[in-house]
Amino acid sequence: MDELKNKEEVVEEVKDTEVPLDKNVRLMSPTRMVVRRFFRSKLSILGLIMCISLFVFSFLGPLFYTEWGEIELDESGKTEYSISETTYEVNGVEYTLRQTTEKSLKDNFLAPPSSEHILGTDNEGYDIFVRLMYGGRISLIVSFIAVFLITILGVLLGGIAGFFGGVIDNVIMRLCDILICLPGIPILLIISTILDASNIDAKYRIYLLMIYLTFISWPGTARLVRGQILSLREQEYMVAAEAMGYSTPRKIFKHLVPNVMPQLIVSMSLSLGSMILYEATLSYLNLGVKAPYAAWGTMINIISTNQDILQNHLNVWVPAGVCIVIAVLGFNFVGDGLRDALDPKARR
Amino acid sequence: MSLFILLGVSMIIYFLIRLMPVDFIQDKINAINQGGATVSEETVNAMYAMYGLGDNSFLGILEGYVSWLSALVRFDLGTSFVYGIPVADVIFEHMGVSFAVALIATIFEFMIAIPLGITAATHQYSFRDYIVTILVMIGISLPSFFFGQMLKDLLALKLGWFPASGLVNATASYTGVELLLDYVRHMFIPILTIVILSIGARMRMTRTNMLEVMNSDYIRTARAKGLSESVVINKHAFRNTLIPLVTSLAGLLPSLFSGAIITEQVFDLPGIGNIALDAMNRGDIPFIMGYNMFLALLSVIGVLLADLMYGIVDPRVKLE
Repeated sequence: MDELKNKEEVVEEVKDTEVPLDKNVRLMSPTRMVVRRFFRSKLSILGLIMCISLFVFSFLGPLFYTEWGEIELDESGKTEYSISETTYEVNGVEYTLRQTTEKSLKDNFLAPPSSEHILGTDNEGYDIFVRLMYGGRISLIVSFIAVFLITILGVLLGGIAGFFGGVIDNVIMRLCDILICLPGIPILLIISTILDASNIDAKYRIYLLMIYLTFISWPGTARLVRGQILSLREQEYMVAAEAMGYSTPRKIFKHLVPNVMPQLIVSMSLSLGSMILYEATLSYLNLGVKAPYAAWGTMINIISTNQDILQNHLNVWVPAGVCIVIAVLGFNFVGDGLRDALDPKARR
Repeated sequence: MSLFILLGVSMIIYFLIRLMPVDFIQDKINAINQGGATVSEETVNAMYAMYGLGDNSFLGILEGYVSWLSALVRFDLGTSFVYGIPVADVIFEHMGVSFAVALIATIFEFMIAIPLGITAATHQYSFRDYIVTILVMIGISLPSFFFGQMLKDLLALKLGWFPASGLVNATASYTGVELLLDYVRHMFIPILTIVILSIGARMRMTRTNMLEVMNSDYIRTARAKGLSESVVINKHAFRNTLIPLVTSLAGLLPSLFSGAIITEQVFDLPGIGNIALDAMNRGDIPFIMGYNMFLALLSVIGVLLADLMYGIVDPRVKLE
């Protein structure tokens, strides 16, 4: 019996060798491996779906949902009834006078969700659903710009510091130390006052604030890039690049920076989430996007002064908060998934 | 070194106030005066003198910076417009509340996050790991103002278990233990908010460190010796995970005094963050400048403490 089995195996082996070896092995480029590992994790797929759907919602949404605009008031009017009771006592008999006052108001504010307004209207009479879309546009655009700028500045300065070392490295890193010690929101409060003083258009102030955020946030990226380059600089392929007589910018940006890319991509996707949070916080504090323009944070801002909306009109402020959570969570999931996918040590 | 950083930070902050137009400052002062409080001429003049405002030549700016800096070294941060007392006094007055909230929140944060991080690491890629990871990720992603308002709406306004805002019950005059209990009731939701939001980062940190340690050789040795799993994890692995945790705790200490602006604003706690926000809205420039310098000082001390602590906890690291 045993012998028979062995014979069969031998036959199979012979069969195997007939097929050329490279046909047996599926070749995969590193990029494809990363992509495969990324999509194996359910969380990163979920994150990706969350991000993409938010993008579609805020950028394509307003093209299809055109009933209301961002700063278009619903002026269909609203009648408000208030009932007042007064009790009279005439000749020992109590009379109650119930008076209903009808008040006609120009704007249809705080309307409940209906077919006309999917999520109702806010305290001014703006359509909430459409403002969610425009708010998403601002949040996403602003955070993408900020992260993009942070990455460019960080790679540039971190790369230079790591490659040249010495005095240049010292100067750039001390600058990083200083910027990291600057308090974030309190300084934004000051800058916001300065912007108030110089009468900047409400539409543009959030961009200016985000530029400041870029200015204080690049040291994190710079440190990351510098640390990586310090270790990469000593590797053999850099000696080879030196021997080939490549120019310094080429060595830095074509040979060193691409090797830092994995960590950079992870930190970018994670900082996208934190930038969205920052933007929302600024708008919530009424420093960022100001009325009448919409931002997710601005839409929540109203409840800090209006207890009635906080308690009884959840449709005004909860959707905006949910959007922020979805955006930040989505980017965090993607970032986490990328980290695991790009790290060869975390393979399983 | 840290002095150099402080110098740099102070330069940036000073530069910022120079960006404010002087007539704008005057407008703000007028607004405060109309609001009931009176900003005395002396206070304003003292501030102008301290910051050297009004002289926009290069030498004037330099002179203003030097005079401001020398006042700063003497802990003289100027006089608050709104409160009419020295800024340093206002800061110290309101620091207590912020510190109490932050300290309790940090203690809970570490107590919850560390065990969570350890279980997530020891059961890596298990169902438990996923659940914990997803929950804390949601915690990280929640904006503090949104989550704070939600908790306030639910626990305070709808269920009425806790007071919605403030630090003491204004209608009752409690003393002793009752007063303390009242404080606790008022601080409960703010602390809960902070803990839930900050647990995530700490837990991820514990998990990553723990995973790194669990893969090291000496853990394999410990297992090979036949030690029980709990001894391996709690005695061998966890002690090394503590290094970054203790370091981060040291770095965190000074920031406990700085106040949580958003949370304090949501719950109307009279902490330093809320005061600063209010001061900014009312244009109390000396206070804001002082507060920013105070924060910068705290974060410099934090960096310094973290470095020192690193050397103490991990004997392999030697300070130069």
